[in-house]
Amino acid sequence: MERQIINKKKRVFSVEPNKIPPSEVFTRKYTSLLVPALKKLNMNKNSSQVNQLTVKHEVDMALALSAQEFAWSRFLLQKLSSSNNPTTTTSSSSNGIRIQERSGKEGGHEDGEREEKLRELQKLLPGGEEMNVEEMLGEIGNYIKCLELQTIALKSIVQDTT
Amino acid sequence: MGGESNNEGEMGLNHGHDPSMPLYAKADPYFSSSDWDPVVNGGGFSSSPYPSVVMDNPGMSCFTHYQSGSGYPDMPASLLPFGDCGGGQFLGSEKNGESVGRLMRAGESHDQVSDDGVSPTRKRRQAEAESQRNKKAVEAYQEDTQRGSDQSQKKHKDGQSKETMNKESSQSEEAPKENYIHMRARRGQATNSHSLAERVRREKISERMRLLQELVPGCNKITGKAVMLDEIINYVQSLQQQVEFLSMKLATVNPEVNIDIDRILPKDLLQSRDRNTPTLGLNPFTSFQGNISTTTNPQYNPLPQTTLESELQSLYQMGFVTNPSTMSSFSPNNGRLKPEL
Repeated sequence: MERQIINKKKRVFSVEPNKIPPSEVFTRKYTSLLVPALKKLNMNKNSSQVNQLTVKHEVDMALALSAQEFAWSRFLLQKLSSSNNPTTTTSSSSNGIRIQERSGKEGGHEDGEREEKLRELQKLLPGGEEMNVEEMLGEIGNYIKCLELQTIALKSIVQDTT
Repeated sequence: MGGESNNEGEMGLNHGHDPSMPLYAKADPYFSSSDWDPVVNGGGFSSSPYPSVVMDNPGMSCFTHYQSGSGYPDMPASLLPFGDCGGGQFLGSEKNGESVGRLMRAGESHDQVSDDGVSPTRKRRQAEAESQRNKKAVEAYQEDTQRGSDQSQKKHKDGQSKETMNKESSQSEEAPKENYIHMRARRGQATNSHSLAERVRREKISERMRLLQELVPGCNKITGKAVMLDEIINYVQSLQQQVEFLSMKLATVNPEVNIDIDRILPKDLLQSRDRNTPTLGLNPFTSFQGNISTTTNPQYNPLPQTTLESELQSLYQMGFVTNPSTMSSFSPNNGRLKPEL
């Protein structure tokens, strides 16, 4: 509940004339979401181990909630709420290997290669398969930016707790 | 940019069916109807009223319709088709080209004005890329330089509008609405409607690929879509793996330390800012109390778009150095924040 309020208010304030760079907004949102969530996790499961999956879940949830302007965040939220197993990144490694092989083999038909790669890219993006190519390419840009910010935030959090 | 409001005014003039005033005026909340003076916008645009032929074009064979997804939620859905109609029906007179450019500018200014709903990250990147696109448009096209840039701006606007719409609406991908993007044929190219559609689509895609190229580090030298796509895929995967790894690390580290998490926020927020703004770190805590004071800090430095390593370096430096100061500023929490609000 608080999260919603926080997100809404933060979005409203970003319209102000002295605008804050969007990366700041995102980072702040993200950390302010994730840290209390982690604390809550800590408190709830103080005896048992904090499961990695639940942490991942919170991480993804914070990402999705911090980036609600983008289409992919909705898909991510859907995925997260439907199943408690975040599968956004687990398939990434296998896809990587496949891409390398494919680009080696298919030398001729360039369009086919491109199609394949675009499809791979679509799989990486949450909800990418349901968008057409142009939109997906646009969303990928946002996604990359948010992922970068997310890694920065996570690194700082990890750095502080060690 | 004051020029943009003028563009909006002139854009209204271009609609032949309503020369007295623009459809936009009633619909567009951002429309400033005060400025009707002709503006020379780097392209020598004239402000002469356009003939009514603008909207009538029965015999155009190179007229292509596109569905550009749902309309802006910030702006009325009727905005887009009119802008596009005005742009698409020209066959090649220079005046019309100018008006296309102006429409595009207006569309762009709409985009810029309605920034609150639009993804700001994306806007920033588009702003960077726009200058590049304009340059490229000038070189690439064989026609009048102005017409070429107008057209690229047109596509740019379409691209922008598509992107902003995608972010906003929930059914942009699937529901075909009434918005069309009109294109006209370039000189020396097939005017078949299908091939035009294909070409526009391809160009949109290549424009976005260009944007992505700037975003992904180390892709500036790569030419060729396949390699570019590979790089993007690898980059996204590596980012996702990084996130996964970090979250795993967080899971192992987390249960041990409880209190330090409170210190993370101010440090994190200060990672790219000046060191002399410790009060900024209190913002998230104020947000918990229901107050957001994110607007009164003009000292923000945007996160550098350089590699993550350099960002991390600054982060660590910031974090370790400003730690005592942020800790000291914790207690007078409420007192300090009031002026910020």
